[in-house]
Amino acid sequence: MSVKNPDMRPELLQVKDLVIQYETSDGIVKAVNGVNFSLREGETLGLVGETGAGKTTTALGIMRLVPDPPGRIVSGQVFFEGKDLLKENKVQMRAHRGKDISMIFQDPMTSLNPVLTVGDQIAEVVRIHEKLSRADAIKRAAEMLQIVGIPAERMNEYPHQFSGGMKQRVVIAIALACSPKLIIADEPTTALDVTIQAQVLDLIHNIQQKYQTGMLMITHDLGVVAEICSKVAIMYAGYIVEYGSIEDIFEDPRHPYTKGLFGALPNLKKKVHRLSPIDGMMPDPANLPQGCPFEPRCPHRTESCTQKVPEGIEVTPGHMVRCICCAQGGGK
Amino acid sequence: MSENIQIQARKRSQFIEVWRRLCRNRLAVLGMILLVVIVLVAIFADVIAPYPYDFQDYSSVFLGPCLQHPFGTDNFGRDIFSRVVYGTRISLRIAFISLAGSALVGCIVGAIAGFFGGIIDAIIMRFCDIMMAIPRMVMAISIATTLGPGLTNAMIAIAISSVPNFARVVRASTLTVKDQEYVEAAQSIGCSTARIIRKYIFPNILAPIIVQATLGVGTAIILAASLSFLGLGDPLVPEWGAMVSAARSYIRDYPHMIAFPGLAIMLSVLSLNLFGDGLRDALDPKLKK
Amino acid sequence: MEELIQVKNLKKYFDTPRGKLHAVDDLSFTISHGQTLGVVGESGCGKSTLGRVIIRLLDPTDGTVLFEGKDITRSKDIKSLRRNLQMIFQDPYSSLNPRMSVSEIISEPLIVHHLCRGSAEIEARTRQLMDTVGLASRFINAYPHEMDGGRRQRIGIARALALNPKFIVCDEPVSALDVSIQAQILNLMQDLQESMGFTYMFITHNLSVVKHISTDIMVMYLGMMVEKCPADELFERTLHPYSKALLAAIPEPTLKKDRQAKLLRGEIVSPIEPKPGCRFAARCEFAGPACFERTPDLEEVLPGHYVACHRVNEINQL
Repeated sequence: MSVKNPDMRPELLQVKDLVIQYETSDGIVKAVNGVNFSLREGETLGLVGETGAGKTTTALGIMRLVPDPPGRIVSGQVFFEGKDLLKENKVQMRAHRGKDISMIFQDPMTSLNPVLTVGDQIAEVVRIHEKLSRADAIKRAAEMLQIVGIPAERMNEYPHQFSGGMKQRVVIAIALACSPKLIIADEPTTALDVTIQAQVLDLIHNIQQKYQTGMLMITHDLGVVAEICSKVAIMYAGYIVEYGSIEDIFEDPRHPYTKGLFGALPNLKKKVHRLSPIDGMMPDPANLPQGCPFEPRCPHRTESCTQKVPEGIEVTPGHMVRCICCAQGGGK
Repeated sequence: MSENIQIQARKRSQFIEVWRRLCRNRLAVLGMILLVVIVLVAIFADVIAPYPYDFQDYSSVFLGPCLQHPFGTDNFGRDIFSRVVYGTRISLRIAFISLAGSALVGCIVGAIAGFFGGIIDAIIMRFCDIMMAIPRMVMAISIATTLGPGLTNAMIAIAISSVPNFARVVRASTLTVKDQEYVEAAQSIGCSTARIIRKYIFPNILAPIIVQATLGVGTAIILAASLSFLGLGDPLVPEWGAMVSAARSYIRDYPHMIAFPGLAIMLSVLSLNLFGDGLRDALDPKLKK
Repeated sequence: MEELIQVKNLKKYFDTPRGKLHAVDDLSFTISHGQTLGVVGESGCGKSTLGRVIIRLLDPTDGTVLFEGKDITRSKDIKSLRRNLQMIFQDPYSSLNPRMSVSEIISEPLIVHHLCRGSAEIEARTRQLMDTVGLASRFINAYPHEMDGGRRQRIGIARALALNPKFIVCDEPVSALDVSIQAQILNLMQDLQESMGFTYMFITHNLSVVKHISTDIMVMYLGMMVEKCPADELFERTLHPYSKALLAAIPEPTLKKDRQAKLLRGEIVSPIEPKPGCRFAARCEFAGPACFERTPDLEEVLPGHYVACHRVNEINQL
């Protein structure tokens, strides 16, 4: 274990030019195409995009859990506390998972083992990563349950005895058990009802504030992003098309796709007769267009958009947009 | 236009995909080749066999394998090779006809049990449980003895004893398909129950039925051979089981008489099992990566 | 007849090993011609069951449903009911038979009801339906698995339209779709309503979607109606404590400086053999002794605004 030195290396996670592809019988699926972002301690980055945008693959890439074959991390670097995770061996990587970086999955129904009590499942993670006795691990499990708002008496119950929201709390408890520095949450509230979603989001937010963990929040819901994220990356067809602080994205969206996403949402405050959807669909990741991936659906497309994939342009400090229009000042 | 062609191509690709997965499995390919050979032998038995199966030549009894008689001859001087070749036809016919019968009954009964559930399901499935509690061989023998010896009765016995297996597979698959939203959608547009079972449930449970049928043919061949071995078939036709049975009194002196029909049974059942296993993996890729 | 659908004291109970589950408990309401009734609630509140009971995909335990003034709950001829009462399903992945092509799926109702003479007429009608829902005719022989969620949902809509129904129950038709596709489908459904005069019952858990598409909204909790009023009214003047909590819980895609910390306690339970009293009482911050003793009746608190709550006047200072 390296000596932690947050002042020298303020960046907790830095993903550089990450490229992940799947080799299928239909050709090479370009799931993630040169993704860049970074995350500091205590920050929450929202990774937003539609189905098939490459959000989950990015997360699995960071954890080095991309199923191989058919998936392959082609190139790029993932610096976690300054060390490139992609260069570590399997044993080192396993030591990171669940200890330094932990993951919360979408479906609490299937991410718990149905034949183990919830207490044992939390204790299991603790015992793998920290040399604790069984009794101490159980004690830690009880503490963790209380942190996520479940009475410790319930630790000897099985997952099926818990409701959906409670199960997701257990999953969060497992993720937190070894006090990780980074949590990757993959659509943690999508399977839950709104009132339960609000409770779980509140819990995640509070815990993250309290322990100053970094968090990568994968979601398709801009409302969830607005609730808990401090930075946002909008993904489309494997590219990050817009990246910036939450204020940048919500108050000054530049990329036509980001604007389209906001326009397509029915609004509770404003009454509109018709929604303005984005025409067409996401391109097939096995057959991406040569130019800008959003070009076929873009209302502002020009001839030059079809030439090549636009580079990211910093429109204001820290606010990156991948669009030619913005470079020419026409993005607004 | 080009998109049209693309869609056409993709429509075919479902079968191609199954075929490709099947071809990747070497044992399944072996089973498939053997099976094709066996079927061809059955079809062209008249051409392949050098002698009629009942041609008796008393001047050459108990001959070992030689040029004139590749598998040798039996106690009546009949050419064993010809008899094994004709036996392919008989065994396959018994197996396929009895299997078709049991598949038909089993599918209907299983689909009804799975689709309607409740008391109907309970009655049908408990009845199947009772049938399955009796070993299939014992069951087939008792049915065949009740009906009397003969190939037709052997087929009926085999068919009846295989019905519960089909009914169970079909019922289990029906249960999973029944809860799919498209079945409810079919109800919502006013489809009759018979139409729902025929057009919505059946096509979606075809894969496990095909697999069960392929594996079932192998079992049916063994059952048919066993019944004939016990004298419950037709003594006049060259059924493999009957040949093995007739040869068993000469096993010490002329083992080739029992070896070749036995080998034929083994190879046909083996090929069907290999092919059936491969087919199951190919049709359900989730089962095996 | 102004009212297309009249529901009176409708009940649907399911038998479970632990007793009767009251999925829909004594609901009464009406839906007028050309209107959209939005039904909102969390999973397990009985909203999907309600939709299925109204169009007789499930038989009610008690109560009546009148369609154009005629009682359809006892009708034996379900097949002719289907002509007028249709449904659009939630999951565009499982609501289409994977073994049938697009044209087979869309023409199925035409064939079942013998609405067309000859295959040429069926094909013409199928193409017309595909055009109506915005499906390119090149997909006519495609299979559902070759298409994306938005297009699949269009197939489901075309199938529901094939019989020219008057009333369509939409069970979460957009919740499985991505935001940009969701807007396409919502617009399509609105256009169809305007051009063909459909009456919708729109079941969803998404309040912003329901607000966008509905004329009236009904909020359900554990099989009971807790609030019903015109769509805009619900958002301007929310009266029932549960509706308030539901509204507060929606994550809104706008920046807020301070997060409101008012969260609903506890979770929804299944209504098996419910005790008398308000079903929301256990989670309600305003619950008083009366709330645990007597089930509140639905009352017209303001003109056109119905609420089932004992303390609605106190809470809202009406």
